[in-house]
Formats: sequence, C-alpha cells, structure tokens
Amino acid sequence: MDPKLVEVTQLFERFKAAFVRNDFGACTNLLSQLKVLLTKFPSLPPSYQETPNAVQELAIARDIYEHAVVLSVKTEDQDAFERDFFQLKPFYTDTCGIIPSSPQEYPILGLNLLRLLVQNRIAEFHTELELLPQSSLENPCIKHAVELEQSFMEGAYNRVLSARQTVPHDTYVYFLDLLAKTVRDEIAGCSEKAYDYLSINDAKKILMFSTDQELSEYITEEHPEWEIKNGCVFFQKAKESQPCKEIPALQLINQTLSYARELERII
Amino acid sequence: MAVVSSASGLIAMLHEPHPALKLHALDKLNSLVHLFWPEISTSVPTIESLYEDEEFDQRQLAALVVSKVFYYLGELNDSLSYALGAGPLFDVSEDTDYAHTLLAKALDEYASLRSKAAKSSEEESKMDPRLEAIVERMLDKCILDGKYQQAMGMAIECRRLDKLEEAITHSDNVHGALSYCITLSHSFVNHREYRCEVLRLLVKIYQRLPSPDYLSICQCLMFLNEPDTVATILEKLLSGSKDDALLAFQIAFDLVENEHQAFLLNLISRLAGSKSQAIDHVNPDQGSSAPTSENGNATADNAVAASEDVHMTEESHTANGTSQDINQTDATYNERLGKIKGILSGETSIQLTLQFLYSHNRSDLLILKTIKQSVEMRNSVCHSATICANAIMHAGTTVDTFLRENLEWLSRATNWAKFSATAGLGVIHGGHLQQGRSLMAPYLPQTGAVGGGSPYSEGGALYALGLIHANHGEGIKQFLRESLRNTNAEVIQHGACLGLGLAALGTADEVIFEDVKNVLYTDSAVAGEAAGISMGLLMVGTASEKASEMLAYAHDTQHEKIIRGLALGIALTVYGREEEADTLIEQMTRDQDPIIRYGGMYALALGYRGTSNNKAIHQLLHFAVSDVSDDVRRTAVLALGFVLYSEPEQTPRIVSLLSESYNPHVRYGAALAVGISCAGTGLSDAISLLEPLTSDVVDFVRQGALIAMAMVMIQTNESCDSRVGTFRRQLEKIILDKHEDTMSKMGAILASGILDAGGRNVTIKLLSKTKHDKITAVVGLAVFSQFWYWYPLLYFISLAFSPTAFIGLNYDLKVPKFEFLSNAKPSLFEYPRPTAPPTSTSAIKMPTAVLSTAAKAKSRAKKDAEHKAASEKPSSDDTSSGSTSGKTSKSSEKDTDAMQVDSASEKKVEPEPSYEVLTNPARVVPAQEKYIRFLEESRYVPVKLAPAGFVLLKDLQPTEVEVLTLSDAPTTLPTTAGGGAATATTGQQGSGSSAMAVDEEPQPPQPFEYSG
Repeated sequence: MDPKLVEVTQLFERFKAAFVRNDFGACTNLLSQLKVLLTKFPSLPPSYQETPNAVQELAIARDIYEHAVVLSVKTEDQDAFERDFFQLKPFYTDTCGIIPSSPQEYPILGLNLLRLLVQNRIAEFHTELELLPQSSLENPCIKHAVELEQSFMEGAYNRVLSARQTVPHDTYVYFLDLLAKTVRDEIAGCSEKAYDYLSINDAKKILMFSTDQELSEYITEEHPEWEIKNGCVFFQKAKESQPCKEIPALQLINQTLSYARELERII
Repeated sequence: MAVVSSASGLIAMLHEPHPALKLHALDKLNSLVHLFWPEISTSVPTIESLYEDEEFDQRQLAALVVSKVFYYLGELNDSLSYALGAGPLFDVSEDTDYAHTLLAKALDEYASLRSKAAKSSEEESKMDPRLEAIVERMLDKCILDGKYQQAMGMAIECRRLDKLEEAITHSDNVHGALSYCITLSHSFVNHREYRCEVLRLLVKIYQRLPSPDYLSICQCLMFLNEPDTVATILEKLLSGSKDDALLAFQIAFDLVENEHQAFLLNLISRLAGSKSQAIDHVNPDQGSSAPTSENGNATADNAVAASEDVHMTEESHTANGTSQDINQTDATYNERLGKIKGILSGETSIQLTLQFLYSHNRSDLLILKTIKQSVEMRNSVCHSATICANAIMHAGTTVDTFLRENLEWLSRATNWAKFSATAGLGVIHGGHLQQGRSLMAPYLPQTGAVGGGSPYSEGGALYALGLIHANHGEGIKQFLRESLRNTNAEVIQHGACLGLGLAALGTADEVIFEDVKNVLYTDSAVAGEAAGISMGLLMVGTASEKASEMLAYAHDTQHEKIIRGLALGIALTVYGREEEADTLIEQMTRDQDPIIRYGGMYALALGYRGTSNNKAIHQLLHFAVSDVSDDVRRTAVLALGFVLYSEPEQTPRIVSLLSESYNPHVRYGAALAVGISCAGTGLSDAISLLEPLTSDVVDFVRQGALIAMAMVMIQTNESCDSRVGTFRRQLEKIILDKHEDTMSKMGAILASGILDAGGRNVTIKLLSKTKHDKITAVVGLAVFSQFWYWYPLLYFISLAFSPTAFIGLNYDLKVPKFEFLSNAKPSLFEYPRPTAPPTSTSAIKMPTAVLSTAAKAKSRAKKDAEHKAASEKPSSDDTSSGSTSGKTSKSSEKDTDAMQVDSASEKKVEPEPSYEVLTNPARVVPAQEKYIRFLEESRYVPVKLAPAGFVLLKDLQPTEVEVLTLSDAPTTLPTTAGGGAATATTGQQGSGSSAMAVDEEPQPPQPFEYSG
C-alpha cells in the first residue's frame, strides 16, 4: 500500500478518535494536516489521474471532507462549513462512476440547503435544489429542507419553529436554532411595515421573547431606530425614514400623450 | 473517467487558512482557468488579495491566475499589469492565445513607451523594468529559436538597437538579415532620425563582416549623408584588384541613380582631395577648367577635362619611370579614379543613356503628324501642346526631325509659346552635356552683339540649357549666372532662373541663391515666379533658414504669381525632411492666403514623399474635403500621390471616393494623384479608376485623367493590358474630334506624348532600384504638376524619365557584347506597333473634311514612312553582316514588314517562343524585370544581379578580345566573325537597332533656326 495513503489513514483514525471524544481543538488541527496531505494525491479533483490507488484515495478523501463538514457544524463555524462543503461537492458530482455513493451524501446536501436557508440565500438554495436529481427529493433529509423553505416562504413561521422537533439528523439542530433567529428577523421586518406601534407584551409575543429584557436587548442590537416609550414599541422612525414617493402620475401621463401626438404628427 | 464540472471546490480552498492549501488551489486553478474563468472571475478579489499579501510566498502564481482571468474577461490592460507581476512565471514561449495576445500587447506597450521616451528625451524615465524584462526575454527567445526576422522587426519597433545588432549578428544569413533590415527601416520606420540611427548601426555591422557588402553600405551612407566614409570605401576598392574596382564602379553607378547631386559633388571633391599628393598638379587644371568653359564654345565639361588630365599625367608618370612599380600602381589608381569621377559626375551614365536612347529610338512620327494636321492652326494652346508632345516623345533622343521638317509650322509659336518651343529643344537634347551649349547657341542671348533674337527664344534657350544639364550643372552654372546678371528683360530672367534652378538642383549654392534673390526683389511678376521656384530648386531638401525669408517675402508681395512661385519653392526646401518640416507645414497650412496654403500642401507632399506616413495622409485628406479654396483642395488630393508613391497599390483605394467627388477640382486632383503615384506601373486598379474620369463632364478633369492615364500606362503595351490599345484609340479620337474642348484636346495631345516618351524607351520612375527616392524625378513631377498655371513648366516632366534599359559595362566602361534571357513571351514587352499610315480610319475621314491638304499630308506621310523604313534598312543590313546570324536579317525584315503593315504577316509567324534573348544594351521594361535571367555559360558575369540599369560585368576570359557594341571602336566588326561565342539565336528585337549605334556619339544635328 502506498505510504502516503497509510499515513493519511492513520491520521484519519486519530482524527476520528478525537471526533468521538468531541475534542474539537485536536480535530481541527488534525484536519488541517489531513487536507495538506490530501493535496498530494493526484487522483483527487480536479486532476482525476487514474492511479492504482485512485478508488481508496477518493473514498478516504470524501470521508475526510464529510467529517470536516460535520465538524464545522459542531464547531458552529459557517465559513468552514461552506469551504468544506464546496471541496466535498466534486466528490458527489464528479466521481459517481469511480466510487460508490456515500450514505452521508443526502444528509450533508440537506445540511447545505438548510444553511442557505438560514443565511437567507434563497436564490442559491433553489440553484442547489435544481441540481439535485428528481429522485433525491424523496429523501427525508432533502424533503425536510424543502418543506422548511416552503413554510418559510408562506410565512407559516410556527411550522418552521415546530420543525425542530422532526429533525432527520442531529446535526440539523444547530441550523434550526439559527433558523429561529432568521424567522424572528423576518417577523420584525414585517411588523415594522404592518404596525405603527405595538405594546411591549404583543411585541414580546410576536417576536417570541420571554422577557422584556431580551426584547430591549434585541431592539438595541438589531433595530436601534425603534423606540420604546409609554410601554409601547414605536416603529415610526423607520417609517419616516422611508419616504413614501408619490408617483408623478399626472405628469407622466401628460408627457406620454404629448409624445404620442408628436409621433403622430411626424408620421 | 471523471470530468471536472466546477472550480468552486478550488475557489473554496483558497479561503483555507493553511498556505499549502492555498498554493495547491492556485496551482490547480492556473491549469483550469481556461475552462472555469467565469466561475473564478467572481472571486478575483480573493486572488488579488493573495497577490498583495506580502507574506504569501507564491504571489507571482496568484498574479498569473488573475492575469489569465482578466485576459478572458477582455481586460487586456489589467491582464498585462498582472502578467508583469507574475514575473518569470509568465512563459513567453507558451503556445497559447493568452501568451500570444499578451506578448503582442506587451510589445505594443513597450514600443509606444520607448518612442514616447525618445520623443521627450527623458530616457526611460517611467519604463517598467518588468515590461522591459518580458520584451527582452521574448527577443532572446526569438533569437534562440532562429526567428531572426521577427526579432529584428520587434527590435526595430521597440527601438532596441542593441537587440537588433544581436539578432543580426546571430542570424545564419547575415547579409540577408541586413538587407531585410534596410527594407524594414525604409518602409516601417516613420521617424527620420531614428531611421538614421538604424542605418548607422547597419553600416557598423556591415563593416565588421569579413566580406562587407559595399553596395548596400554605400546606399546607407548616402542616406545618412556621409560622403567621407563612402570616399574611404571607394578609395580602398579602387586601390584593390580589378574586381574591386569593378565593384567600386558599380557602387558609383548606384549612387548616381539616386540623383543626390550635393552628395555626389561632395564625394567627388573628397575623392580628389584625399589623394592630392598623387595628382597634385592635376587639381589646378581642374579648377581652372571651370573658367575656361565660360567662353562661348567650350564643349567639355570640367569633370571630363579632369579625367582626361588624369590620363595625361598618368602617361607622363610612366614615361618618367623612376620607380616603375609604384608608378604602375599609382597609374592604375589614377586611371580608375578618373573613371569613377566620370561616373559620379553623372557623365558616364548620361552619355550611355543618351546613346541608348538615340540608338533605340522608336518614336512614331506618324502620331505627331496626325496631331499636327488635326489641330487648328490658330489654336495656340493645342499648337504648343503639340510641340511639347514632340519634345516629350523625343526626350533625350536628340532626334529633332519633326521640328526640322515643320519649320514653317513651328514658326507660328509666338511670345511665350516660342519660349516653350525653344525650351522643348532642351528636353529633346536632354543629357547632351558636351554639345548642349553649341546646340542652343543660335537662340542664346549674344553677349556683346546687339541681340537679334527675341527675348522669348533667349529665355527659352536658357531654360532649355537647364533642362539639358538638369542636376548635372557644374559646367553650365557659370554661364547661366552671367546671363541672368546681364539681362533686365523679365522673360530672359524667367528662363535663366528656371535654368539655374535646374542646373544647380539641390546644391544650396549661396552665390547663385543671392543672384536669384535679387531677381525676386525686383518684384516683377514673371521673373519673380521663376525666381521663387528656382530658389526652391536650389535649396531642395536642405530645410534651410531661407524658407522663412521666402515666406516673409511671399506675405509682402502683391503678385499672386510670385506668391505661388515662392510657395512652391518653400515646399521644395523641406523635401524629404518629414517631421522636421512640421513647423513650416503648420505655418503654411494655417495661413490666410490660399496660395500659401496651396504651397503647404506641396510641402506636405514633398516633406513626406514616398513615406506613406499616416499623419500626412490624414492631414491631406482633411484639407481635401474641408478647405474653402478649390486650388488647395485640388492640390491636397494631388499631394496624396506624392506621399504614396512608394506603395502605388494603395493610392487607387485611398482616392477612389474622392474621384467621385462633386467638385471637379477634387476629381482632377484624384486623377493626377493616381497618375503620379502609379506612374509607370500599369497598375490595373489605377487604370480602372482613371477610365471613367477620361470621359468626365468637365473638360479639365478629362485633361488630367488623360495625362494621368498616360503616366500610368507608359511602357505598357497592348498585349500586357488591352486597355492600353483602347486608350490609344481614345486619344486619337479626341484629337481628331473637331468639337472636343481645347482643354481635353490638349490633355490628349500631351498624353500621347507621354505615352511614347523618350522614343518609347523611358518610363517615369520615382524610386531607384534600391528603393531610395529619386530627388530629381520627384521634384520634376512636383513642378510639372504646376502646369495648371504655367504651361512652360510642362517640360519638367522630362526630369522624371529614366531609361528602361539594361546596360552592361566592362572594366573600361564600354558596352561589351553580352546576352541574357528574358523568360517571357517577347510580345508581352515589345514596342507598340508603329501606327499605320492613314489607311483605315483617317483615310475614310480625311477626304470628307479637307481635300487638297489631306492628299498632300497623305503623300508626305507616306514619304516619311518610306524614309523611315529606308533609314532602318541599311542599319539592319549592317547588323546582319556584323553578327553573321541569319535570323537577325529575318527579324529585321519582319520589322520592315510590320512597317508596311499587313496584319496577314502576323499570322504567318510560327508560335511565339516563351523566352527571348536580349543583347546588351537592351530595353527592359519594368514589368519585364522579374523575367530577366543571366546565362550561366556567359563570358561575362554581372557584379550585381540587377535586371536593369547600369551593371558592371566581370570578364571571365580577360585574355580574349572583347566585342563591343555601342562604341566607335573599329575593331569590333572584324572580330565578331572570329569570336564565335555568339550563339545563333540573336535577339529578335534589340539587335536590329542596337547596331544602329555603330558610331558612339550621335552626330550633332545641324543647327537650325526658325524665326517668328
């Protein structure tokens, strides 16, 4: 067996051990070394050289990146998640003919969809979705993400929040927690438009806060333009700042008519 | 096999904290960038930040990737700057579009920076060293790969003379490389000073070679105007072996062909000066010979006198014979020096040309007769046009039969027409240096005796002298100056000024200039105009301070004629100065006075002659469509012809739109522009452009188009282009048409003169064979184009004529018998058939029009034809007896057959051979040049493989007796029989006439005079 492959395998075993121990510091360290070692394999994307060890190399590399993705979820590092996922993706898309597909594939794809949802990158979410084969939509992991998106779009926020109970995979919890915050932001945005003011109790209820303390913290952090007085939350400031532009309808109509007249004259 | 579908993984990897991963990602991206640049382009900022990260150790790789992405995005400037950042990673030898495009971009950038740096003289102040490094790598690579031509081109473009030198010296064919460079520097280097630098470098390289190509060196040196070096080279060659001397003679002939009088005079004086101790006592003689030529009938030119003196001294030397050996070498040296001086002074070539033109004269008097008869007697314009046509037809042939036969008719020319008629004699006898004075004697102003002749003929005679001695006026200058001083008649002053200008062309002679200036300051319109032109002629190409003086006077004077003369004169002074002329051109073209602007157009034309300079073309086109004065617009278009004559194929395309202008002046200019730049080429495009103009609605446009057409078609015969025949018939029709406008009739008459110019043995050539411009020819055409205002200036066209001849010379500068091959059908290049005596066309027309005169004319014409045939016959008999070849006599019979005209005889001729043997000296028309081959087993080998012009021949059997043609040596005839070297296939064409010149010098014609 190739010495490099042996080295990677051994290192990966250590990584997995640390992973099970939830020793994330050691994991990150080992992962970094592993990635560097992986660059030495010529069979990996994007070179895809047909070496004798290609199958083992690809399989182990995929395994490593899958672990990396999960690790990034556990360390709650979204950037690392994105990085690792993109590096993992070629293994799913381009190597189908060489190695058997991984059992982890759909959970991880689903995670990624969830991440996009959390980051409110709806366009990319749909791009990713379109790239998936029709059959995969039946997979519970993907289905979960798709349903979440639908509820999210409909404004059925309660369903979004209750989805936390039906996660297909325990790694999803982290993102669903994050999703709650995304939902809150959405609600805040809507109420701003919908109401001039709300009583603190109502606001607490709508925005899903249990104490006044939390509410005022949220307001100072995210929406400093809101105002709390007389036991109410006033959104006016925001309204004032949004100048309602009147459409100069009459002027436009007159102009268009005169153009039409001129045109007729020319012809 | 897996296929890469996306680069997103790699891009993500760029964000990895570990540098090794970044590096890996970059490396992979670099190899995939051509596929995934759209994906990568969104993360260019990331890669850029990697490049800017000082700690990242592969910044250059990052730069390379960014550069490639920018290249695919079409942002070449950004791409280049990052490629520079990539340093050595940017591989100049890479065979990809990216590398090619960026290299081209880099070179362009570098070249423009270099030329900018050269202009602002702050050498390389802002030059990016990385850019320089890339270009240097590129050049080195080209040199290593053996792509020397590319390397040379780039080096010249980038102004890297050091690299140029390297490329040339490394190339496997140094001579080829050098000549390639010379062509490059002439056709692509626009900046005159820089071109000089390049040439200087080339000369340096040439001199280092083990076997220097002196011919090319001397051409370069002439351009650089360094007579000293040329003189040294010539001296070295002259004191060498016989072959070296031959080479020296060849160099001299080539130099003479470029007609740079001032340079040649300089060269002669240096040659004489350097070996003064050897021929010390000759020099005083030479000096004194100039004064002796003052008195009336001194015939010899001083240069010849000098050379004869050299001969004499040489004899005396050998006679004394104290130290035989040294004297022997001295003697041969002096003998050679004499010869080379003869060549450099133009003597030899002019004399040989004269003999050639005289002996090969094939002018068709019948055409002139037809013209003469059809032209109305009282129409003086057509009358003098006919005289002019005659002069042009016989330019340089010394044949004035037509004038002699029609003295009474000639006498109708009065006043200025008489002036022109007399000047025409100068054209006919052009180059007759020895006897020019005596020929013109009857018309010249008589000193002492009370002048019997009219001032017009006297002025014309002085002008004629100038034409005879054009550009070789050493012997006649003095006389012309005195004539100028001794007269107050403005007509004579006019003639004398023009004559002086011609004779002392480009010599910048201060004394003469002062004399002419005095005439100018008399403020007489007639004399002043000539003085203005004359000053320009004197100062051609000197860009001297005098121009501003002239400009100032042009502003002062009231006479339009003087302003016009001066404007042209000023334009002449900046001849060939390119950028140096810009200030003056600017000044003139912004003037309020249209005549000065008109001069400005000429300044542009002459300053940028033959350079095809884009800026000049641009300016001229601008004036051609925007100036308010028709004269200026016409001239602007016409000037394009001068700027473009080095690339005649371009001209028809550039002026084609202008030739359809609504403005007749612009159309006229377009016609002449094509005529000037395509002169003598017979270019098909040019003819197609001119054809519709010859039937334009405006008479003067027709005139211009006819003249231009004749200039284009000169020396092209019907079998080359059938339109030549059509054109000849059109000319005849216009001339015979009673209702045609005078202007176009005049054009037609002149056109038939130009078409058959110089006895059908000359063409109009503005470039010498080495692609240098011929000053005299260009100046001649420029002044010629002034005939719009002043008909006598028509005669200047004779300066542009150069014989279409191959003249081979042996060591004694005699013309030996020598044969070579023209690898094409003879009919392609033969002389046009002489016109038939009035049978078909005119026989039908004439009786209805006039009765008695027609009959008389007919009989006269017939007599003339007989006379001509008779004169031809004995000569051809001579040949057949001389060269003892049966075929010659047969061919001469055929000639006379053709004269008698029956087309039936044509059909009897057996199928035409595919080649033709020509005998030295032979007529070789420009289109024929590429078919000329030299026979290998020939006795003589040309020193230079030139298909035309003067070529020195090396004798491989020096012990045998040489057979000479074109010489008066009586020994030739007997030895031919014994010589036997001549093969049976003697030329069909040349031989008949070449023997006509058994006597070397055409007999001086009897003086005749007409009174009017």
